[in-house]
Amino acid sequence: MARRLMMRYGTKDVLRGIDLTIRRGEVVALLGPNGAGKTTTVEILEGFRRRSSGDVRVLGADPNAPDESWRSRIGVVLQTWGDHPRWQVAELLEHMAGFYPNPRDVPTLLEELGLEREAGQIIQKLSGGQRRRFDVALGIVGNPELLFVDEPTTGFDPEARRNFHDLVERLRGDGLTMLLTTHDLHEAERLADRIVILIDGQIAAEGTTADLAEQARAETKVIWSEDGEEQVQYARDPSEVVWQLHKKFDGPIPDLQVHRPTLEDVYLQMVRAGEPQ
Amino acid sequence: MTTPSAFVNGLRRGRREVVQVLRSPKELFNFLSTPVLMVVLGLFVRVDIPGSDVGMGHLIVAGGITTMIAQASILVVPQALAVEKEDGTLLRMRTVSGGMTAYLVGKTCVVVVTAVGGALLTLAGGVLFVGTDLPRDLAHWGTFAWVILLSLVTLTPLGAALGALLPNPRGSLALMMLIMLFLLGFSGLYFPVTVLPGFVQAIVSIFPLKWIGQGIRSSLLPDAALAAETAQSWQLMLVFVVLAVWAAVGFVIAPGMLRRMSRRESGTRLKKAVAS
Repeated sequence: MARRLMMRYGTKDVLRGIDLTIRRGEVVALLGPNGAGKTTTVEILEGFRRRSSGDVRVLGADPNAPDESWRSRIGVVLQTWGDHPRWQVAELLEHMAGFYPNPRDVPTLLEELGLEREAGQIIQKLSGGQRRRFDVALGIVGNPELLFVDEPTTGFDPEARRNFHDLVERLRGDGLTMLLTTHDLHEAERLADRIVILIDGQIAAEGTTADLAEQARAETKVIWSEDGEEQVQYARDPSEVVWQLHKKFDGPIPDLQVHRPTLEDVYLQMVRAGEPQ
Repeated sequence: MTTPSAFVNGLRRGRREVVQVLRSPKELFNFLSTPVLMVVLGLFVRVDIPGSDVGMGHLIVAGGITTMIAQASILVVPQALAVEKEDGTLLRMRTVSGGMTAYLVGKTCVVVVTAVGGALLTLAGGVLFVGTDLPRDLAHWGTFAWVILLSLVTLTPLGAALGALLPNPRGSLALMMLIMLFLLGFSGLYFPVTVLPGFVQAIVSIFPLKWIGQGIRSSLLPDAALAAETAQSWQLMLVFVVLAVWAAVGFVIAPGMLRRMSRRESGTRLKKAVAS
């Protein structure tokens, strides 16, 4: 979908060569700390922002020069949206549906998102969670093939977050292709088929949760004492190392420690390594 | 199902936005306050226009009509654009094909309905309470109509350009309003411009408001009121020329500025605006 994508503001490189492919029906999470370039990436893919260089194809078209129908095939859920504050919920959905060739039925959509009682509500009076669900409704009202969701649950309480995750899972069940950004590893693990970790404008790692966990295991640290000195060995299979040590010592291993890093440890380590000095 | 064209969507959008104004007591009050204020002012000011036997109230009612036209186009449009570029309304419209066209068509509908509605409401108030005469023949109705129409054609693109230009709504909006209030106050809409110092008259003569006011007065006031006009004439040809020149300026600069604005707006900018 994107190759060697670069973005430069003045002299600051925000994206430093990103290669990203999303297959149809896949849910991909773009995971990274604040300022990593997640939103910039998504906005370039959505056609809201011009890239500095690189090739980008989204649903077969360049987002900077899309054909007529392209916009109707993608859906967008941005981070903070306070638009159309004086409109009513159903009114704006009906209006936006009018721009698509094959929109969803608005009353059904409201029901699916648990907003049927808010249909006549003025938008600025919605609660944060309702507003977010409404943003998703606006994102999918046109029956898109591809949905971009930027930082879906920032500022949510745990229950709203869980509800939102259920909603995304239902959409995934409908076969919608999704790219979502998040700075929450657990959210990425929960929702995505594949995680792409973006740090400081570059992709630091990518793969399924299992792939990344596998990579994490390669970093397992075995520590013990030998001749009064601390010994350290990194191993993919720590139990093999420990077994060899047992045979060597023919008994208990002095000061044995095995640190098996979690995916989170690996991610946080990447984030720290990417922080500007 | 066939997708309605952007233009049709724009008309629907305009209708919904007009209904929203009527639905909201606060906005309805805002909309009605100027006509009411102008009619009350016209009712209370019981002097004649200097050098004539025409009541000043008639001049004030004509000024109220001009105010309604200006308010809908050059005051409300920049504010709406500034606010809607900050709250994400414009960005939302960019997520659909034809969204920007529909947005602008919708805005234009709102401007036309509120300006014409406001002008007619003020005129009706003037006729009922101040004793203002309706335009006395078809020719004067014609003048009344073309001045309003040309004014909207002139002021709306200028308003859109101003709205697109404003970098951060709050600070610069206040400055812009100050300039607008100066022009409204000193363009001879509520008292004869001829009582002002020559240099003030020269300044306001550059801008469209003075000429719109003069055009509206020419359609409503008897010729006896000419005593208080700058050139003792309605100068309708000059009204047309000045408005046409400003309209040309607006049509040259507005499209480019709107395109630039819609390109620059993005979610990250939005977030910054919300955070600040």
